[in-house]
Amino acid sequence: MILFWQSLINGLLLGGIYAACSAGFSLAFGVMGVVNLSHGDFVMLGAFITYWIFILAGIDPFLTLPFTLLILFFLGFFLQRLTINRLVGSPPIMSYLLTFGFHLVLSNLALRAWTADFRTVQTSYSGLTISFAGLVIPYSRLATFIMAMAVILGLYFLLYRTETGRLIRATAQDREMAQLMGVKIFKIYTLTFALAAAITGLAGSLISFTFVIHPQMGLPFTITAFCVVVLGGMGYVPGTLWGGIILGLVESLATTYLTAGISVAITFFLLLIILVTRPQGILGKGVVE
Amino acid sequence: MLMRRPGLNGILLPLLVLGIILLLIPLLGMAGYRLRLFSLIFMWVALAGCWNLMSGSTGYIDFGPVAYFGVGSYCTALFMIKGGFPFLLSIFITGWICAALSLVIGLSTLRLQGAYFAIATFAAAEALKQVVLESDRVLDIDFFGGAHGLTLPSPPSGIFFYYVMLFFMGLVVFLTAVIQKSKLGYGLRAIKDAEQAAELTGVPALQIKIRAYILSSSLIGCIGGVEAYWLTYIIPDDVFNVMRTIQMVIMTLLGGMGTLLGPVIGATFFTLISEFFGAKFVYDYLILVGLVIVVVILLMPQGIIGTLVKKRGKSSWLF
Repeated sequence: MILFWQSLINGLLLGGIYAACSAGFSLAFGVMGVVNLSHGDFVMLGAFITYWIFILAGIDPFLTLPFTLLILFFLGFFLQRLTINRLVGSPPIMSYLLTFGFHLVLSNLALRAWTADFRTVQTSYSGLTISFAGLVIPYSRLATFIMAMAVILGLYFLLYRTETGRLIRATAQDREMAQLMGVKIFKIYTLTFALAAAITGLAGSLISFTFVIHPQMGLPFTITAFCVVVLGGMGYVPGTLWGGIILGLVESLATTYLTAGISVAITFFLLLIILVTRPQGILGKGVVE
Repeated sequence: MLMRRPGLNGILLPLLVLGIILLLIPLLGMAGYRLRLFSLIFMWVALAGCWNLMSGSTGYIDFGPVAYFGVGSYCTALFMIKGGFPFLLSIFITGWICAALSLVIGLSTLRLQGAYFAIATFAAAEALKQVVLESDRVLDIDFFGGAHGLTLPSPPSGIFFYYVMLFFMGLVVFLTAVIQKSKLGYGLRAIKDAEQAAELTGVPALQIKIRAYILSSSLIGCIGGVEAYWLTYIIPDDVFNVMRTIQMVIMTLLGGMGTLLGPVIGATFFTLISEFFGAKFVYDYLILVGLVIVVVILLMPQGIIGTLVKKRGKSSWLF
């Protein structure tokens, strides 16, 4: 029984991180209809930024978060401004392929620059844990979970409680109508994608605290984002929290009771079943084309 | 406005001449690397053509054709190793298995639209890959060979595969031409232009989409089987590799989606440049491919054929 509760807790902590990793994907899809296949590489870049600042400057990983936020914000800003904005109105396949091109360039540049070595961020407090009624919770996992929740909450407030958020949501709802009302949609698109990249990079930084990082880690995170976002409802940002937690729990339980490899297969079957039976997500608030 | 489509006659003769030349080349003493390169180009033209048959003509972006390539490879390998079947019979059965599988997957996913269809097909391909990769360990059997893959019986010479790949390329191009002129082709284009309107005027949209999907998938499965025998060694990470899907898409897009010659030109061009880059810049190859993709999307989103059409100011399905 203790094994069950332990994997439940692991799944919950994992799910929080998954949610933070996927919120940006949902945001970009919901507002622009762009399926960003280079999404996972933003996670990878965020993780490596934290890693290098920590190794080279010796700054505590938690204090590197503002750097990641800033660098990825500008990366997203320029990618959207210079390339993706030019594809508005063309068939969606164009954006899939363009972002897959980015994925190839980013992940292979990273591979060339940093080699395929597996790396970890090892701090003085990395191994510390809290024990509670026989259950073990690593400090760093708990801290990343809390930070991940803060990221999602921050995004929620930005979208639903600020003027900028209102403009973003208006553009998502009806591009042409928003344009008629005087919303500068290309500015909103650029801001949205920059924001999506920034929070994704931030999640990547958080991941480097507890996961092994390497240049090819991106694509699996893109796929995770697919699952999370489909579960929670495509384009409905708060849904990613639920999607992430469900996926985290399923993966954790399947890994405990079956094998790690089959848990990936289960994830995909779950994704397929949800898409076919309930494409608007479990909460029923996603965008359905 | 109903546009008159040009007849096949204008293009039939050059294609036939090209076909005869390609049939004769190996007899004139082409061998070694060139023979292999030609076979590789034929394979990719056929694969891109299959993808074009489904996605190019309907606008439904299939992001999981590699599922059938992988299943085809494994079916053929298993029939030949475990069943001791001859190659051609294995390929034939493989085609039918892939058709049945695509009927099951198609019936569920083809009701979805846009990004949902793309993600669902992608998920199906990855799920199948994981099943092949893991079932040996989970069920404790020795069947798929897990991550170590399978080794096939030693294959005949390169000339055999040259002709088999040439056959599949010819078949796909021929089928595309026939379908474009047929009722099925008109139905597919109607779905691409306005699915709901097509359905309201009596086009059985789901049925037509499934027919195109099954045709494309079973051919991809057969080609996967041929490649498995050609390379004699298959592993899940290679035959289910997502890069294969992306290559089919890029090649078709490069040439021009929904056109007859688009996949032919796109796949030939792309295979040649990747052979060139792959040999010259071993480590930077994928970076260069990524840059080519970005440049093509931004500068010529219509593909080579589409760009030519614009320049000549004509609208036709060929040029």
